[in-house]
Amino acid sequence: MDADTTYRPLFLNHIDDSLRTEIKRNCSVDVELCMECGKCSGGCPNGHVFDYTPRKIVQLVKLGDRQTLMTMDALWICLSCQACVDRCPSGIDIPAILDYMREKACRTGAKTSRPLVRLFHELVLSSIRGHGRVSELDVALKYNWKAGQPFKDARLGMRMLFKGKFRFYGNGVKQRAEVRRLFEKSVIAKDVS
Amino acid sequence: MSVAYFPGCSLHGVSREYDRTTRLVCERLGVRLEEVYDWNCCGATAGHSMDHELTMGLNGRNLAQVSLMNLDSVMTPCPGCFNRLKNARVRIEATAARSRKKEQSMKDRPAKLPKVMNLLQFLVEEIGLQQIAKPVTVPLEGLKLAAYYGCLNTRPRKIAEFDDSEQPVSMDRILDTLGAETVSWSHKTECCGGPFTASEVGIVLDLGHQVLEAARYATADAIVVACPMCQLNLDSRQGVDGNALPFRPGLPVIYLTQLIALAYGFPVRRTGLRRLLVEPLSLLRRKGLA
Repeated sequence: MDADTTYRPLFLNHIDDSLRTEIKRNCSVDVELCMECGKCSGGCPNGHVFDYTPRKIVQLVKLGDRQTLMTMDALWICLSCQACVDRCPSGIDIPAILDYMREKACRTGAKTSRPLVRLFHELVLSSIRGHGRVSELDVALKYNWKAGQPFKDARLGMRMLFKGKFRFYGNGVKQRAEVRRLFEKSVIAKDVS
Repeated sequence: MSVAYFPGCSLHGVSREYDRTTRLVCERLGVRLEEVYDWNCCGATAGHSMDHELTMGLNGRNLAQVSLMNLDSVMTPCPGCFNRLKNARVRIEATAARSRKKEQSMKDRPAKLPKVMNLLQFLVEEIGLQQIAKPVTVPLEGLKLAAYYGCLNTRPRKIAEFDDSEQPVSMDRILDTLGAETVSWSHKTECCGGPFTASEVGIVLDLGHQVLEAARYATADAIVVACPMCQLNLDSRQGVDGNALPFRPGLPVIYLTQLIALAYGFPVRRTGLRRLLVEPLSLLRRKGLA
C-alpha cells in the first residue's frame, strides 16, 4: 500500500508535548527557546550527511516524534563536536538531546542505522569494564573481527605497530572492582560483553 | 608548583610521545605533575553516547581521586577527558547548588571540587607566556605553523570557559613565544572526525581532508595540535592505506609539547618526533632545527 500522503494541517496545540517536558526535566534543555535561526545546522560539520539537521531535530522534539528521533541516521553520526550548542543564541544543548535519545534507543532496542558505530562504542565500553581503561589495540582488533572486515586498515595498523604506537601490557586500573560496580548499576553497559 | 595530572587512555597508548613531552616540558618549567592515582577512563564518546549515568560515575570517581591527593586543580592534555571531567564537575556543582537552595541537609555537599584545566589553559593561564619563553634555547625560526585547536579545547564555551570558541589564540601565542610564525587560517576549531576513527572512516576522510586542505591553502609547513584524536585522525589518513585521501598533503601533524621540547633544546630522540606517521624531521632539518 502506498504511504498516506493526505494533507492534514498540523495543530500545534493538539500535539503531544510529553517529549518536550521530558527533555526539559531530564536534560535541562528547553526546546521552546528555539527561534529557528538555523545557526546550528549551518555550523554542523556533518550536517550535509545528516538525514535530520540539528534545527530539524529540535523541531522533532517540539512535535514529540519519538520514533523518528530514535531511528534517524543523525543519532549515530553526530560527532559531539559541540558546534551547534556553542553557536546557538538560546544555548539549546542539541548534543544532550541526542545523547538522551540515543540512550533511550539503546534501552528500548530501537533499530540503529549504523550498527558499526554502535558496535565500536560497545567495544570501548567493554574495554573500560574489563581494565578500567581503554586498550586501543584490543578495541581495534575486536572491532575489525566483529565487523567482519579483518583486514581493514591492516597496513596502517602495521605502520603504527612498527612506530611503537600500541601498548601491550601494564595499563589498567588497580581497583577494578570500583569500576565494575559503576557498570553494574548501568542498564545498557551491563550486557556489553 | 604542583598540579594533578590526568593523562587519559590515549596518552598511555597511541600518543605516548604527547605524554612524554608534556612531562619533559613541565619539568623544565618547574611544575610537578602528580599523576592522578589509579585514574580510570573518562568514558570518552562511547560513555556519554550510550549511558550518561555511567559517564558521571566514571568521572566522579576520577574527581574524587584528585580530591584525595589534596591538590586543588587537575590538568589534562586530552581535550576529550577535559570535556568529560569538566562536564561532571559542572553537573555535580549544579546539583549541589540546587539542593542547597532547597535547604536540605548541608552534609551531602560534596568535598571541594578540583579545578579542571586543559594543557593549553594550564600553560597560558597558570604558567604564563613569559615563563614559557624563558627556557627557549633553539627558537623555531622559519617555521610556518597552523595552530589547530579542534573541538573540545574551547567548546562548548559554557563548559570549557577558556579562550574563544571561534577564533582561539592561546596556542598561536605560545608558538609565537617559541619564535615560530603562525598562519591565520579558517579551520582552527573545525572537527577532524573525532570519534569515528575506525567506525566511519568516510566521515574522517571528509572532515580531515577539509582541515588539511585549509592548512595547505594557508601555506603552513605543519599543523600543530593539542589533542590525541586530532593528531591520529589527521596524521593517519594522509596516503598510506586504501582508505586514504585522494592526494598526499604530506603535512606533518605535530604535538604542541613536542615543539616546545624542541625549542627548549631537548634532542630529537627524546621528543618522539620519529613516532609520527607523516615524518616531520626532513622539514625540521631543512629549517636547521633538528
